[in-house]
Order: sequence, then C-alpha cells, then structure tokens
Amino acid sequence: MKSPKPVQILWSLGFASFLISGCASPQATYVDPSGSRTITSVGNINIQDYANAADAMVGSLIEGVINAGKLESPGGQPAILAISRIVNNTSQHLDTDMLVKKIRVALNKTGKVQTTTTMGLGGQAEDPLAQGIRQQTEFFQDKKSTRLPDYSLSGKIIEQREQAGNVRQSSFIFQLSLTSKGGVAVWEEEKTITKQGKRSTVGF
Amino acid sequence: MKMLVPQPKLILAAGAGLLLLTGCATTVNTVERATPVGERQMVNDKRIITDSSLNRAVRIVGINETAGEFLKVQVELLNTTRSMKSFNYRFEWFDATGNQVYSPITTAISRQIEGGESIFISAVAPLATAKDFRIKLIESTR
Repeated sequence: MKSPKPVQILWSLGFASFLISGCASPQATYVDPSGSRTITSVGNINIQDYANAADAMVGSLIEGVINAGKLESPGGQPAILAISRIVNNTSQHLDTDMLVKKIRVALNKTGKVQTTTTMGLGGQAEDPLAQGIRQQTEFFQDKKSTRLPDYSLSGKIIEQREQAGNVRQSSFIFQLSLTSKGGVAVWEEEKTITKQGKRSTVGF
Repeated sequence: MKMLVPQPKLILAAGAGLLLLTGCATTVNTVERATPVGERQMVNDKRIITDSSLNRAVRIVGINETAGEFLKVQVELLNTTRSMKSFNYRFEWFDATGNQVYSPITTAISRQIEGGESIFISAVAPLATAKDFRIKLIESTR
C-alpha cells in the first residue's frame, strides 16, 4: 500500500481543522447590537430586550397618541416630556436609562416630543448646569421663561421567575404610563419578554 | 417455517424513528369571521428567498399598510410545516430618497410560530419621513 505524502497529510490536517472550527467565532469580535447574534441569558435583561421593549413602547405611543392626533401641545410646538419615576422591581441592579433613553431619543427624532433636562423628580435635574442657567436667566430677566412639561413618563419593570425541573423561565414586564398635565394617564402600555432555557445560550 | 420474531433492538429503533419523524409536531386550528369587516390595503411586494426551509416555516402571506403621518406596516406569516419554528425579524425604514432611516429602537425581534399557524408582525415607522420599508427574516441561531 502506498503511504500518503507529507503534503497530503498537511492538506488533510488543514481541512480537518477547518471543518472542526466551522463557523466558530474568534475569542473577541464585534456584533451588531440590533442583530440576532447577541448573547441571551435567561436570568438577565439583555441589551436586545431593552431595544425590543423600547420598540414596542414607541410604536404603541406613535400609533395611539401621535398618529391618532391626541398629542396636545401649545401652538403646535413639540410637546414637552418630563421623566418621572421608573421603578425597578427586579432582582437585578439595572439602569432604567437603558430603556428610557432609547424611548426619549426615538420620540425626539419624531419631532413631536422633546424631553426637559432641567426638571426632574424631587427637583433633581438631569442637567444641573442647564437648570442653573435657566434659573439665573429667569432671575435677571425677572420673569418665568420656562415652559412647564405637557406630559410625564412613569413606569415599572417587574420580574417573574419560574422553574420546572431543570428548565428555568424569566419574564420581564415593562410598564409605562404617559400622564397629561391634568393628571390623566393618556397612554399606557405593557410589554412582556419571556425567556426559557437551561443555561445561557447565544442568539435570541 | 421459521417465524420472524421482532428483535427488541429493532422495536426500539422503529420507535425512535417514529419519534424523530413526528418530533414535537403540534399544529394550530384556526377559526375566524368568514367575511372580515376590516379590509386590508395590501402592498405589492418583491421577495428575495435565500433560505427555502425558512420560507416553508415562515411563509410571507401578504403585507398591508395603514397610511398616516407615521406609516404602519403589517405582515402576515404562515407556517406551512407541522413543527414550531423560532425566527427573528427586523424592519428597516427608508425615506423618500431611498436613504435608510436610523432609529435606536430598530432591533431584531424573536418570535415563534407553531405548525400551521398564521401570525402577524407589525411595526410603525419611527419617523414621519420614513416612506418605504424592508423586512428581514432569519432563522433563530439557537
């Protein structure tokens, strides 16, 4: 029997390693955060979950309030939105801006809504410098120039965990309300994201 | 004459084969109004199919839109197989000049569709200037 040549062996080894590696990713790589190859873990709110919830919320708000012509603001100007309390009722430490900022940016881009950064819950401004400038301007001009918010956004993020055998399930419920100056919730929405699995997996 | 007695291994193999063939197949029965009240404004579409197995499990039945300041698009999907399928979809939006409109909330969304089931996916344009759309469907990577 004829023995294989060293070149043939090298080719075979190279081909075998190519087959074994397959579509495996290198140790570190960039992924599209809005794509379908981000990491999903059952017990945590992942980046795509925030985007998914924000997408549902903004879509509902545009359809139910803006498209329906129910957004009220003086003189056709963009409505002013203030951010109220977003309660984190999950077991995780999370930054609610992961959700709220996406919604703010999307609403701002519509040209219909703008968010105040000088008014916040308990007098806490998101931008203290802008708040100081506004207060000084009002003091020196001796008149109130600030337009009060037309709406405030409040909400809650809730977590619900279940387990059956070795299958774990986590549900994250995103709830938001848009309240008018008159104190009426003119829009409310809820989006639930449920994940199930035995361990963290890649993909959605 | 020699009697053919089924071997236990053969029975097990046949059982396993049957299990594999049936899988977790469960299909959906549907009932609806014979003449729907709502009339959908259907959109003529152009399809590029690169994954034929996905096209069987997540078949695009039709696309309809609702005109408004912000365009709303709805897509009807039908699973023509007998098995549940997980997939991701993503809407992309374009302005009147054909340029893609960026939105921080545009993301791939995961859905499941049972065998024989028909579902709707929908989205509202993130900007009033978004006049066109494209929907991408991809098999779940998991």
